[in-house]
Amino acid sequence: MQLSTDITTFIWLIPLCCFVAFGLSIVGRYFTEKIHFICVVAVFSACFLSFLVLYQFILSDMSVVTISIDWIAIGSFTITWGILVDSLSVIMIGFVTFVSLLVQIYSLGYMLNDPRISWFFSVISLFTAAMLVLVLSDNLIFMYFAWEVVGLGSYLLIGFYYDSEAASRAAKKAFITTRIGDVGLLIGIMLIFKSTGTFNISSIIDLAQNGAVSESIMTCSSLLIFFGAMGKSAQFPLHVWLPDAMEGPTPASALIHAATMVAAGVYLVARMHPFFDLAPLALPVVFAVGLTTFLVGGSIALVMTDIKRALAYSTMSHLGLMMLSLGAGPWVVAILHLVVHGLSKSLLFLCAGNVMHSTGNRTDCWSLGGLRKNMKITASAFTIGALSLAGIIPLAGFFTKEEILISLTEIQGLWPIILMIVLAGVFVSALYITRLTLITFYGEPRSDNAARSQESPWIMTIPLIILSALIVIFGLILIPLPFVDGYRGLGHFIDPKYKVHFVPWLSFISILVAFLGLLLGWLFYGNNALSHTKMVGRVAPLYDLIIRKYKIDELYQWVIDHAILAFGRLIALFDRVILNDALVNGSGKSVVLSSLRMKWLQTGRFYNYGMAMVIGVVLSAAVWWLA
Amino acid sequence: MIISTSIILFYVVSILVIGGGLGVVLARNIVYSAFSLLVAMIGTAGVFLFGFSEFLALVQLLIYGGAVVIVIVFALMLTKIEDFRNLNDNDQWPLAVMISVALLAVLLIALFGSPIESTLGSGVGLRHLGKTLFTDWAIPFEIASFVLLVALIGTIILVREDEEENP
Amino acid sequence: MIDLVHFQILSISLFCIGVYGFMARKSAIMVLLSIELMLNAVNINLIGFAAFSDFAESTRALGQVLVIFVITIAAGELALAIAIILRLYRNTKSINIDELDSLKG
Repeated sequence: MQLSTDITTFIWLIPLCCFVAFGLSIVGRYFTEKIHFICVVAVFSACFLSFLVLYQFILSDMSVVTISIDWIAIGSFTITWGILVDSLSVIMIGFVTFVSLLVQIYSLGYMLNDPRISWFFSVISLFTAAMLVLVLSDNLIFMYFAWEVVGLGSYLLIGFYYDSEAASRAAKKAFITTRIGDVGLLIGIMLIFKSTGTFNISSIIDLAQNGAVSESIMTCSSLLIFFGAMGKSAQFPLHVWLPDAMEGPTPASALIHAATMVAAGVYLVARMHPFFDLAPLALPVVFAVGLTTFLVGGSIALVMTDIKRALAYSTMSHLGLMMLSLGAGPWVVAILHLVVHGLSKSLLFLCAGNVMHSTGNRTDCWSLGGLRKNMKITASAFTIGALSLAGIIPLAGFFTKEEILISLTEIQGLWPIILMIVLAGVFVSALYITRLTLITFYGEPRSDNAARSQESPWIMTIPLIILSALIVIFGLILIPLPFVDGYRGLGHFIDPKYKVHFVPWLSFISILVAFLGLLLGWLFYGNNALSHTKMVGRVAPLYDLIIRKYKIDELYQWVIDHAILAFGRLIALFDRVILNDALVNGSGKSVVLSSLRMKWLQTGRFYNYGMAMVIGVVLSAAVWWLA
Repeated sequence: MIISTSIILFYVVSILVIGGGLGVVLARNIVYSAFSLLVAMIGTAGVFLFGFSEFLALVQLLIYGGAVVIVIVFALMLTKIEDFRNLNDNDQWPLAVMISVALLAVLLIALFGSPIESTLGSGVGLRHLGKTLFTDWAIPFEIASFVLLVALIGTIILVREDEEENP
Repeated sequence: MIDLVHFQILSISLFCIGVYGFMARKSAIMVLLSIELMLNAVNINLIGFAAFSDFAESTRALGQVLVIFVITIAAGELALAIAIILRLYRNTKSINIDELDSLKG
């Protein structure tokens, strides 16, 4: 069915609906309590429109569409607001609106009794709108603008329970950490602007590919932009905000810290990938940081006992995996993994929300257990999500993990070693997710709350069912389907230069590694054949280090105390001594002192004044006549 | 330079003048200073004679010698100067010496630095003096007389006794 | 021959002597005497110019006219100054300038 209208006429409606919903619900909550339904309606329409756009896009043979409006004109330079519609952004808007819709439906049930439910929905709408603008924007300035609003939305949602000290601290920490990254991002954008004269992404990439930008500038700006992406996507060492962000409501974590905001960094690097490609140092740095994050996140997730925090570290770890695949090769695999991970992780978070909802806000997995008996839907959904994340065939996670590993084999040089390290990480990831699943849902209930848990209402379980179903069948979209004409896999749809590979020996090894992880997890936690406490005892110092999150938080606190606050004290000293005492008070005091000294000139004696007169005359005469 | 009688007489007169001046500023006793001033005035009158202005020499003698010095001596009398015999130089006299020497130097350098033509001296007849005074400079003349009037009135008011002011 | 320079040098010397007296004397009346000296020095200078410059006679008369004015004003000013000193003497019973420092800042 061909639609008569052009995409361009309504693509801007997609973020606009959510933004209008935000505005209306901010105002409307003083009038009616049910205003939050508008937000759900808005995001539903946005989702519908996104899929319409996707459909149109497929039908019109995947042409790239851009529209732009001049926004600010300063002299000969104009800032435009533009939309870039290509395969990447179409996929992203579909993904963002879909997950947002599911999370909002879920929140209708989760936040039902919260008096500030309207504010929650307003901020989620704002956030969704900003995220949509971010992925649709065709120039860096507007993307940066949306980036900041996304950060704001995250801050507001983390600090949603603002009367909790921990929540406000966590919100501040998140905002400040991402802000540090944002500074780098802004400097990078400005650097690019200075050397190319434009903010438009396509123009920048064109100019860079034609050699208009010097290599050092490309490297510098790429690294700075990546620094911004590091902040938002919780890469090591700017990851410290993500676990603490779990203070916010669970649906918020599901939307923001699993699927969308943290994806913004990955999206940015993917968008600028041709630019990063041309800079010699950029992609290796991206790869290294991603690898470090992947391993660090995985290792910490292994020892966490709080469900939400374990999931947060798992997110961090998978973001590292996405970054390293960006650094390794084609950016498409990272985007694919982003979508799949987003679906799986939000599923897991929503299940965690269910668990909290029915056991009275408990997140410590050791006080849960055996929830499978009472919460069948949640347990199965969680299991499906966990298996997808671990990379078990035929769930979606397997396919994307495959693609990543295959792209790793195409790095020249050290690929066997890198492959082994990443496989180790895959093993750890399978292990921790199994551990979490088994401890929380299987076995015997370890506390009263766990025993008395019950399944959540339908409104909260339907999103879970939808997501689980999607994860199961999504894998089929990823690979080339023989019965659909000309369809060569989702990766090919996004980037026509990419071909889906299939490397049998690698698939075999990865399935083996994943199963090993599963097995070990089951042995430790399901069967109790091996005792995990004894294992912990054997590696006690390492365990200590890991459970303290590698002491990164302490390090940052030390730096802040000693470097930043010391600097602050220095500045305060400067302000007090120099500005206040010397300049402000000092000018007053100097006037008084000088007048005290000059008082001696007023002797009151006539002959002194006469002397002064004569001296003046002599000097004037000397100057007048002799000089 | 030709040594002629006029030069010698001029030097004598100038010694009178300078000597009188030095006497004024260096004398220990204030009455001695007053009378040194008289000597200097007489010397100045002599100098005026060398400048071919006889009328002004006479005016100088009359006014300065006859009136000014008398007034000063009266003032000395009225302020009971015999009580203040030890008033000499004040504290800043070394600095004063330096400054005056500096002024002297500046003036002399300025003098010898600027060439002024001078001609043979000739006097100004009284007729021309009178004519200029009462035609070109009549208004300043009137104003000068007015100044004298004001000075007169002012002096009288200033030295009036106090009991006339307080009823 | 007597020349303008002689008059000028005499005038300068007398003036500087008067300046010294003006600055260095302790009694108010002595300061007054020094002022008279300075005025006389000026007069000598003016007479010198009146006699020895190269103008017509009616122009040169200006020097002597000015001398008349200076003498006049000097006399008037002397009278007023004496009056003030007498007044001061009546108030403070002293003509020592060192004691007249009530304007001391």
